[in-house]
Amino acid sequence: MDTLTDLFLIFFGAAIINNFVLHSFVGVCPFLGVSTRTDSALGMGMAVTFVMGVATTASWALTRTLLRPGAPLVAWGWDLAGFEGAAPDLSVLSYIIYIFVIAGSVQFVEMYVRKLFPALHKSFGIFLPLITTNCAILFACLLVMKELQGPGPLWGLHHSLALSLGGGLGFTLAIVLMAGLREELEFCDVPKPLKGTGIALLVAGILAMAFMGFAGVDQGIADAISSAGGTR
Amino acid sequence: MNPTVLFSVLLSALTLGLLAVIGGWILGWAKNAFHVEVDPTVQALSDALPQVNCGGCGYVGCGEYAEALARGEAEPTLCGPGGAACSKTLSDILGVDVGDVWPIRAVVHCAATLDQRLQQTPYEGEPTCAAANLVAGIQGCAYGCLGLGDCEVACPYDAIHVENGLATVDYDACTGCRHCVAACPRNIISVIPFKQNQILAIACSNPEIGPAVKSVCKVGCIGCSACAKISGGLIEMEGALPRIDYDTYDASSDLTPSVDKCRMESMVYVGTTPEEAPEPEEETLQPLRADFESTVDHTEWRG
Repeated sequence: MDTLTDLFLIFFGAAIINNFVLHSFVGVCPFLGVSTRTDSALGMGMAVTFVMGVATTASWALTRTLLRPGAPLVAWGWDLAGFEGAAPDLSVLSYIIYIFVIAGSVQFVEMYVRKLFPALHKSFGIFLPLITTNCAILFACLLVMKELQGPGPLWGLHHSLALSLGGGLGFTLAIVLMAGLREELEFCDVPKPLKGTGIALLVAGILAMAFMGFAGVDQGIADAISSAGGTR
Repeated sequence: MNPTVLFSVLLSALTLGLLAVIGGWILGWAKNAFHVEVDPTVQALSDALPQVNCGGCGYVGCGEYAEALARGEAEPTLCGPGGAACSKTLSDILGVDVGDVWPIRAVVHCAATLDQRLQQTPYEGEPTCAAANLVAGIQGCAYGCLGLGDCEVACPYDAIHVENGLATVDYDACTGCRHCVAACPRNIISVIPFKQNQILAIACSNPEIGPAVKSVCKVGCIGCSACAKISGGLIEMEGALPRIDYDTYDASSDLTPSVDKCRMESMVYVGTTPEEAPEPEEETLQPLRADFESTVDHTEWRG
């Protein structure tokens, strides 16, 4: 399978088939919190996509060089100190470093956008601090980390970018769909005990069940692409 | 201790420490490089506002209003929930004189109770005005109150209630936040400045004349313009509906002849009556908190 097919499958898988929110149930807090209006949902989705791209890129670089078994920087330090044998595995530090990287990059991006793009900051800057501890972004970083543990071919930067873009756009799709449904819900005669979060959770569950219909589509696409390549 | 283990621990600590130093340095540099001046006036104005973000002033929220005030683009009198006390604080911060500040209150421009509205058809649909407004022929008057209480639901202060099929404002509780104005699908609620506790208002929104109004309502304005002719310019006709000029209307103006002249009871005094008027409140009103009564659902389940 060539790289392009790989990238497409990673992107499509993260966006639709294993949708972060509706399949893996991460990032549910912004999914419920900011999905009352379509325009703010879109802003939140775009902000998540952007931060996810920045955070996975940073954590890909750190994982590649530091936080995996046999990482080059660690091995170099090990040799420098004059020790024999295999260098220690620093992946125990990955969670704390990912959180640190995500929080730091969100802060940086917030300041940067506020200074240089005030209009953009007005439209989605208010969502940025909310993303600081968003589990969807940590989830993307951890997926990238899993693919960098070896053995076998390790993910390149393009793979992790495809994952974060797919995951972010999948999140945007889910939250905008949800916001559209909730806007319609405003006009429905919902029984009082279920009003607000109750009916929103029910709708989210049904939406997640609908997305279960995509399960296995990735294998079908992969087969179709490889068989088309074979007959050509 | 085994030197390999010790070095592993040291390496972890060193990695974390180094990353923290680098990250901290970058953020510290960014804080200075991307520093944005925040106007202290905006902060002070924002603190003085009620922060209910009702949007009644015409801006997205209290923060936006504070910024517009600081730029000098907005009057400090626009905050309904804050009232006169808030306007005064704002004008003190800005160093301007606001002059007289009148509280604004909601007025329902319809006076027809359920039995006074004619040509009604039984309605069994969604019990909201927004839905009922889409149905033709629910009642004869296409401009009058539907009485299904969208305004009642929208009001955060429990100040408007449907009484006898007609939305009625409780002027002890109303703050002029305009939530009901936005909620009414027939646009028959507006806010007007109350220069005294009780003022005159036009209680009809039907722009048609004579027989057309009389066939659908017992109390609707027929557009005879008798009130305008003897009002001395305080009332003007806009099409077939009179309009009171609230800029000049005040405690000294006497519109009793016009009210007496009206044959259709389309002009009503609204507001609190003088004897039961409460002392003007200096505090900012807080939004209504849910109590047991307001959490009970009285609406009929039509699933």
